[in-house]
Amino acid sequence: MDKNKEATPDISAFLASAVHDMKNSIGILINFLESNLTELGPDARDKATPMLYEVKRVNDNLVQMLAIYKIGNQFYPFDLTENSIDDFVREIVEQNKTLLDYSGIALDVDLDEGLTWYFDYELISGVISHALNNATHYTKDKLMLSVREENGELVMRVEDNGSGYPSNVLETGDAVNKGVNFASGSTGLGLYFSSMVAKLHKNCGKTGGISLENGGKFGGSCFILRLP
Amino acid sequence: MYTPSDSTSLFAGKSFLIIDDFPGMRSMLREMLRTFGTKNIDTVTNGKEAIACLEKNKYDVVLCDYNLGSGKNGQHILEEAKFRGLIGLATAWIIITAEKTADLVFGAAEYMPDDYIIKPVNEATMKSRLEKVLARKEMLVDIEKAACDRNYNHTIALCDKALASSKTSATELQRIKTSTLLTMGRYDRAQQEFELILAKRDIPWAKTGLGKAAFYKGEHARAQQLFREVINENPAYLEAHDWLAKSYEAAGELEEAQRALVRCTELSPNSVIRQKNLGELAHKRGDLEIAENAFRKTIKLGQFSIHKTPLAYLGLAKICSENDNPAEALQILKDTCKEFESAETSFHAKVVEGMVYSKSGDLANAGKISREVAELVKADDGHRASSVMLEAAQMFLATGNKEAAEDIARTIIKNNHENAELLAQVNDLYSQAGMSDQGEELVRKSRQEVIAINDRGVILAKEGKLDEAIRLLSDAHTMLPNNKRIMINLSNMAVMSMRKNGRNGDMMLIVDECLRQVAKLDPKDKWCAQLRVALDALPA
Repeated sequence: MDKNKEATPDISAFLASAVHDMKNSIGILINFLESNLTELGPDARDKATPMLYEVKRVNDNLVQMLAIYKIGNQFYPFDLTENSIDDFVREIVEQNKTLLDYSGIALDVDLDEGLTWYFDYELISGVISHALNNATHYTKDKLMLSVREENGELVMRVEDNGSGYPSNVLETGDAVNKGVNFASGSTGLGLYFSSMVAKLHKNCGKTGGISLENGGKFGGSCFILRLP
Repeated sequence: MYTPSDSTSLFAGKSFLIIDDFPGMRSMLREMLRTFGTKNIDTVTNGKEAIACLEKNKYDVVLCDYNLGSGKNGQHILEEAKFRGLIGLATAWIIITAEKTADLVFGAAEYMPDDYIIKPVNEATMKSRLEKVLARKEMLVDIEKAACDRNYNHTIALCDKALASSKTSATELQRIKTSTLLTMGRYDRAQQEFELILAKRDIPWAKTGLGKAAFYKGEHARAQQLFREVINENPAYLEAHDWLAKSYEAAGELEEAQRALVRCTELSPNSVIRQKNLGELAHKRGDLEIAENAFRKTIKLGQFSIHKTPLAYLGLAKICSENDNPAEALQILKDTCKEFESAETSFHAKVVEGMVYSKSGDLANAGKISREVAELVKADDGHRASSVMLEAAQMFLATGNKEAAEDIARTIIKNNHENAELLAQVNDLYSQAGMSDQGEELVRKSRQEVIAINDRGVILAKEGKLDEAIRLLSDAHTMLPNNKRIMINLSNMAVMSMRKNGRNGDMMLIVDECLRQVAKLDPKDKWCAQLRVALDALPA
């Protein structure tokens, strides 16, 4: 039985084991970079720091593609749990600390203390990490992460003091939110992922969403995630 | 503002076990733990070493990679450790995994890890997760102990107390509380709790819980509706699929039940129990192809699992026999007895062997096996599972051993005289053998005999002759050790007697034995919980 199946390898099995392998390797790379940057001289460190950003991008892409694939095929175990915002922010900040420190970027954190909210921890952590990693690349020297409750919604913002989103990215952001199938651009995957994740979060007839703006506290780009 | 925490003191005295097949990961994790101030760290590379280590030592935290190459995976090790009691309630088990799967996140509550970390693992995440898990373990240890001891009222009281003071663990406490209410059979109360939670937020576990309450109350259509709603919103929510299948099956909609189970096995391809359930259901429906496939998968998946079950082997043997392949069926039966060295399994395998010979027309061997099984039944203590007894009765009828069939059918009926499903199955057996009149007569008479004894006991008790009633039902219980109604009446009378005359060792012995036996027959029976409450309320 199933002779045909044996002839064609099950690609999903390869995908899963390849992802497993890549994630192990990326984990070790990130860890190596983070713990060894301190031991480098200033010149070497300046050259090595962008490598950390690149490795994190590879990881983000991997995470995003896998999640999009699984959500699309209704296999993603969407895990809506009540999370402490303090813990969530602390974890995210500590994860990104090395890169920010060595890139000479100051991160402001602004949050409602003691707040808890329902969301899928891994997915939202993926969205915000990606936004921070992006902003690290495009900012001048300042970032802000704010998490506040506004009108019964959780609003997370990542703002910077760079030159803001170019107009084609702002348009792409609009297109994503309206559910238009847009052509791929350099930021396509990340935005698509963030928007998909936001929309999975629903409560009492309301659905989550993302938006891109220029301006904000520092006059740069603002990535905004709203969760009902 | 957030503050990075200093928790060296939290980690210093704790013992850790790291299970990972990848040397780079092992040393990375060990280095991290050392940075946190931990000194007591063991590392192993596979399931076998892990189990050996857990048999010898007690650990506060186990960090376990999910994918360990060939052999047991991380979930297998966790299940075996819990099943065999190698880890206590205080041990925190964290699974490290490359990807989040439905099994990991929505798996069976009793075999869930305390947390999972998605790769890549970094120091900050590891530290913050460990702190959180250890704090939660500490908060829940009393509650989990009470639940484990089946001290349900106390469990709920502790949850309420913790709910009043803790904000961050509200979900976890509500889940424990509501599932305890369901276990106690307090369905209306559980329903109220679920509805309160759902009024604020649409959460899949709460809606699934509402469905379970409806299921237990016999409202199958409503339960199905709720489970379908959960699945619509959350397609990978395993528990809702499991329960949807269950409620279809209970409503007799077997085709729908099978479809739900198939979806479940797609989402959770490594679950031994789900594959086995699918095999049994498909076999019941006569869908031999799906059943065969599911049983073969069950056997393959069971290789490294504590849930490995002889029922999959026996199911496969039956299907081979039905597909006119007796040689393979007999070979599988031989293998089964080798794999599982238990008297129970070899008895069951012998019953199936008789059926295989009978089906293939080998009447000499069929008759020989039939006589051997009849001897085993005679020497029996009456504690065999009724499903196996039913198969034995079927085999006796098929091999023309009417007397043995009748004896065993009578035992089944008398032990289960209120179980309509089982009685219908006995009737079915006889009508399939072309003896429906004899079957009906047998069921009617045997039921009547038990009802008469029970009625006499209840009347005696009402007349105040409690000792006499207890004696009567104790004798009946010895004859029919699996009859639930007799055990319930007997225990209630024992409690009544103790209420009147104070606690008494003999009475407690009766009650304990009945409780144990009912719980063995049906671990979820709500009567056990109610009786425990009544026992607690007895004056000291």
